[in-house]
Amino acid sequence: MPCCILPIVTALFLIAGIARGDDPLTYERHVRPILKAHCFDCHGATAEPEGGLDLRLRRFMVRGGDSGAAILPGEPAESYLLERIQTGEMPPGDKKVTAEEYLLLKQWIATGAITAREEPEELDEGIVITAEEREFWSFQPLVRPSVPELADSNGVRTPIDAFILARLQQDGLEFSPEADDRTLLYRATIDITGLPPTPAEVADYLTNESPDKYKTLIDKLLASPRYGERWARHWLDVAGYADTEGYTPSDADRPWAYRYRDYVIKSLNADKPFDQFVLEQLAGDELVSPPYKNLNQQQIEYLTATGFLRMAVDGTGSGANDDKARNHTIADTIKIVTTSLLGLSAGCAQCHDHRYDPIPHTDYYQLRAIFEPALDWKNWQTPGQRLISLYTDAERAAANKVEEKVKIIAAERNVQLKQYIQEELEKELSKHGKRLRQKLRAAYETPADQRTDEQKLLLKVNPSINITGGTLYQYNQASADELKKFDKKIAEIRKQKPVQKFIRALTEKSGQVPVTHLFYRGEYQQPKQAVTPAAFSICSPTGNRFEIPVNSEHLPSTGRRLAFARWLFRGTHPLVGRVLVNRFWMYHFGRAIVGTPSNFGVLGQKPSHPKLLDWLAVEFANNGWSLKSLHRQIMLSTVYRQSSKSDPAQSAFDGAAIDGANLLYWKKPLIRLRAEALYDRILATSGALEQQLYGPPVAITTDIAGQIVVAGESKRRSIYVKVKRTQPVALLKSFDAPVMEVNCERRPSSTVATQALMLMNSQYILKHAKSFAQRVAREAGNVKALPMEGALPQFDDIADAEAQQIPFPQQIVLAWQLAYGRQPTADEYLAALNLLSEQISILAADSNRAKDIAPGLQAMTNLCQVLMSSNEFLYID
Amino acid sequence: MFGNHSRREFLTQNAMGVGGTALAWLLQQEQLRAKPASVVGASAVPDMSPRRPQFAAQANAMISLFMHGGPSHVDLMDPKPELSKYSGTEFQGDIQYSFVKRASKTLMGSPWKFKPHGQCGTEISELLPHMAGIVDDLCVVRSMHTGFNGHEVSIRYWHGGIPAVLGRPTLGSWVTYALGSESQDLPAYMVLTDPGGAPVDGVNNWTNGWMPPLFQGTVLRPQEPRILNLQPPAHLKGKLQSKNLSFLKKLNRKHLERHPEEADLEARIASYELAARMQVAATEALDLSDESNSTLKMYGIDQPETKEYGTRCLLARRLVERGVRFVQLFLGGQPWDNHNSIRTSLPAICRKTDQPAAALVLDLKQRGLLDTTLVHWGGEIGRLPVTENQGDAEKAGRDHNGQGFSCWLAGGGIRGGMTFGETDEFGHRAVVDKVTPNDIQATILHLFGIDHRELTYFYNARKQQLTDGRNCRVVHELLPNIA
Repeated sequence: MPCCILPIVTALFLIAGIARGDDPLTYERHVRPILKAHCFDCHGATAEPEGGLDLRLRRFMVRGGDSGAAILPGEPAESYLLERIQTGEMPPGDKKVTAEEYLLLKQWIATGAITAREEPEELDEGIVITAEEREFWSFQPLVRPSVPELADSNGVRTPIDAFILARLQQDGLEFSPEADDRTLLYRATIDITGLPPTPAEVADYLTNESPDKYKTLIDKLLASPRYGERWARHWLDVAGYADTEGYTPSDADRPWAYRYRDYVIKSLNADKPFDQFVLEQLAGDELVSPPYKNLNQQQIEYLTATGFLRMAVDGTGSGANDDKARNHTIADTIKIVTTSLLGLSAGCAQCHDHRYDPIPHTDYYQLRAIFEPALDWKNWQTPGQRLISLYTDAERAAANKVEEKVKIIAAERNVQLKQYIQEELEKELSKHGKRLRQKLRAAYETPADQRTDEQKLLLKVNPSINITGGTLYQYNQASADELKKFDKKIAEIRKQKPVQKFIRALTEKSGQVPVTHLFYRGEYQQPKQAVTPAAFSICSPTGNRFEIPVNSEHLPSTGRRLAFARWLFRGTHPLVGRVLVNRFWMYHFGRAIVGTPSNFGVLGQKPSHPKLLDWLAVEFANNGWSLKSLHRQIMLSTVYRQSSKSDPAQSAFDGAAIDGANLLYWKKPLIRLRAEALYDRILATSGALEQQLYGPPVAITTDIAGQIVVAGESKRRSIYVKVKRTQPVALLKSFDAPVMEVNCERRPSSTVATQALMLMNSQYILKHAKSFAQRVAREAGNVKALPMEGALPQFDDIADAEAQQIPFPQQIVLAWQLAYGRQPTADEYLAALNLLSEQISILAADSNRAKDIAPGLQAMTNLCQVLMSSNEFLYID
Repeated sequence: MFGNHSRREFLTQNAMGVGGTALAWLLQQEQLRAKPASVVGASAVPDMSPRRPQFAAQANAMISLFMHGGPSHVDLMDPKPELSKYSGTEFQGDIQYSFVKRASKTLMGSPWKFKPHGQCGTEISELLPHMAGIVDDLCVVRSMHTGFNGHEVSIRYWHGGIPAVLGRPTLGSWVTYALGSESQDLPAYMVLTDPGGAPVDGVNNWTNGWMPPLFQGTVLRPQEPRILNLQPPAHLKGKLQSKNLSFLKKLNRKHLERHPEEADLEARIASYELAARMQVAATEALDLSDESNSTLKMYGIDQPETKEYGTRCLLARRLVERGVRFVQLFLGGQPWDNHNSIRTSLPAICRKTDQPAAALVLDLKQRGLLDTTLVHWGGEIGRLPVTENQGDAEKAGRDHNGQGFSCWLAGGGIRGGMTFGETDEFGHRAVVDKVTPNDIQATILHLFGIDHRELTYFYNARKQQLTDGRNCRVVHELLPNIA
């Protein structure tokens, strides 16, 4: 059963509550959250509380239960509640009230057990949402904040800058200087496309004199198809994209999942408005009328989009098509929806009222009801059943014709098979005497279910008589080979069939409207009251909850998801906009404004720049939910364009001393390449990268060490590499690519020896270092100095004879240009020359060295590997 | 220690598993080192810190010499005078074949002679003279039974606990999951593969199944680099890579100067240094240059026929000496699968393995390691007493037999100088004291101080066990001083 993770941080926000000083302790603000976390399950949530004690109101506590009053205001020593807690009897189970929480309860009783306001006369059953809970920051209506007006607005280009600088100035900080052109070019190019600029692009940009060149660059990058490949990966993280089903050990393939991946790439490249993008993913099927036949491109796109709701782990097509597996898939789908769009970890409310956030148990199932007509565990569509064929009627007719031809060949094959078996049977029979032969023949020819016991025994003691199509090869390989010719012929004929493609879609069955029940303790075996579809109460003002009709009058489907998706983007939802812009900000800056991008609840972090967050969310909606507009706004700001280097000697402030973690953005955070960007950058640098968009996943394989690698020689970008849940590609995994169990809200950026070893010794880096060295040797003849400080070094000859044949000096310069987009410094240049010449002499003297590679190329390969393992390669300034 | 682990914990672990097991292990080591000492072992997440068994353990390490293909027990360690006597006549009983076309019922007596050896007098075939020499340390189980003749079905039974089922953690996973590792410098579960290629079922022989990748066998490859990624490829080893690394350090230092106070950049520089140190530890364990000539000779490393397998047996001893918990040796393909020409193919594989295997037991014993190191020798099945008809008598072989076969155990608390169980008079079926792979697994865990029913891993909504609740027992008769 699903289980909440109850972090230890509870006490922290409670202590923060006390620390407010003159604010008196009240039931609603200070005490109720503790009781809700520890006690309400038994003493409040149910109609008949345990021991008759209901803790949901102060006056209920005073009244008490079967054992008398729970508290005596002003008298902690006389309060039974405290006694029970202190002795550890309550709450039962492992999770106890902390010392801080206990003290707070005690203090509240001692100060008279005050409430913030008069308690209601009547209380609905269950746990209601209090005014205090509604005050929480992330549930506040979204209002466009006014942009700060600063006396000293030095460096402010955009409203974003004003918000950031206003906060910086509070701490005596200001912006760092703008990064140099080359750094900006690299930063923006990798940020938007996930790939480095080419040396030609570097040269162009550096020689461009236009004052608008940075803005032009951003526009150019956003227009590149590579943009969709880079940013799709971000969205696929939260969608939980995988090419396999998970759940069962076989982790079966999802052959058509990639069409959803391609849909995401295409939509982002087209800058499809994000409200439309999400609407299609939540309810694209409701925009198309069944039956889903002879579909046009638009309809195909809508149906493909619903792949989002088909991303959850799903064992129902691979050996686990039971109620448990189905409900597991539904729960994971809800988790994907709530974490990606609502920024709430609603999973707790699957079993009981959420202990920290105002999400009642019923709310969870009402949200589930929105999806249940399509994810109906009583009338489940297995992965095979939910495929929609893209065959047109004409194609289907053509395919049927081909199958008719196949039938003819198959019949011929069958005749031949029977003849072959007969021939071998005769040979085997001839080894026996006449009488036995007859008996054996009769036994063999009698259908298996009609044989007498005697016949069965006879065949058992003479096993070689039991010739079948499967064992024919043991008797006569030539015959078996003949039969294979038929199979080949059939395969040939089938090639004439129009290729049948499918969509993995989420659809409803017309007229099938299941009733959703609340599950007691989240257990599907214990369904309780029926619930109707509705959004979470907390996402709307009191009394104005978004409830959805059970069935739409205008659509063949129930219309629940369509209504929900439209409501999400009406502009009044407190969470969706904030959650989305927060995540986009995170991808640009390596950290989010709300550090827990999928938890905007009580246990999540507070925003570092709340007004900026709100401003961005409002702007996003006002600009028609255009993600590319948001990129422009962010990337054109001063805060984005700052240098990432801190140089106290050069600057007017000591950022490192005041804000060492750079939480306030006084410089651009340095970001380590994400796993995919590193994989792709290595490919691009070695010159191998293929630019082809879309298509079925690139296969992976297991090497002898059990390590997962890309199969064959594919040079496609990592986004096209198959995502098998149980077999993450080793290089990607070691650089923090997610293991897709559900979805990934935020990637860590780890620094461990594993990664060092990958870059020192793995086949991937070794192979591409060699391609890089070969590319350098091939192209070095035309190397030109980049227009930047540090002129091209004078190409001194080095003594080694071999080196004179290959222009090493030029190669070094080109290697630097390809890896870093800059000239080597004089020091670096000499050190590299020195490294090459040392290595060449070691190799030349080593009689055991590999003979298939010249010492010069080997040494250059080593240098290239070092460049691709270096921090300058791994990090974006 | 033997408690539940939630899916989330599994994932936390899985998230650090990198595919390459050596790497998963390394990462684990780093995290151990990063933790204050007092927390080690108290973690809710399974790790490789050494753990105490449930009760007093006899064994603290195990070396398994896995003999893929089905060694012909009636020609090796289960003498059958009746089979010899009736050789050439028709077998009267019921036989289960795999290859029906070549099936025959003609009994084939062993072409090789058996003689009693040692003080115990256990009879061993002339094909295994070295095994004959250590027979007083061995417990030969002659009543093994899987019930299935197929290779894969039985292989998976031996490794994963359920016949035919793929994707379960292997014995080595369970042992290391339970007890962690004594070595903080080497992977806890190591697999030595054959230069002739992968065994049947490939990496499934040492998979971690649904356990975290930390518990996957780390392959020690037969050629350089012996541990992928942990060691540089041969052409970079030594001076070249160290020059590369010092050049890299120079570049990274310069880069750091341009980005002062970026802790991550400094950490990354340090991570390369740590990686290099780990390479050294593995290299030392694999370096045989400090072994004496007499040791090398004992393992047959001076002879072409035994050199390769002998080297791996010696490496197995060195690994166990350095605290590796579980070592398993595999052969390429299925050299014991003697369907044809058994008269030549069986002696060949015996010559390759007999001396090294015996040397391993002797060497462990002379170093005082045998008491605590359990050694296992055996395949997944045995072979039939009847001829597999290949036409020519010289080409005769034997078909699969999962109904009755032999294996041996030594050290680690096993009673030496005994045989256990019997097959029928022709060696087809185990008839007295039948022992299954589950029984052996339960017994092995028992020797490690663990009750096989209580060692559980939470997966797929239930507590899983190696023996999966199947009907099996600790075979106490194999242990000394039975009460």
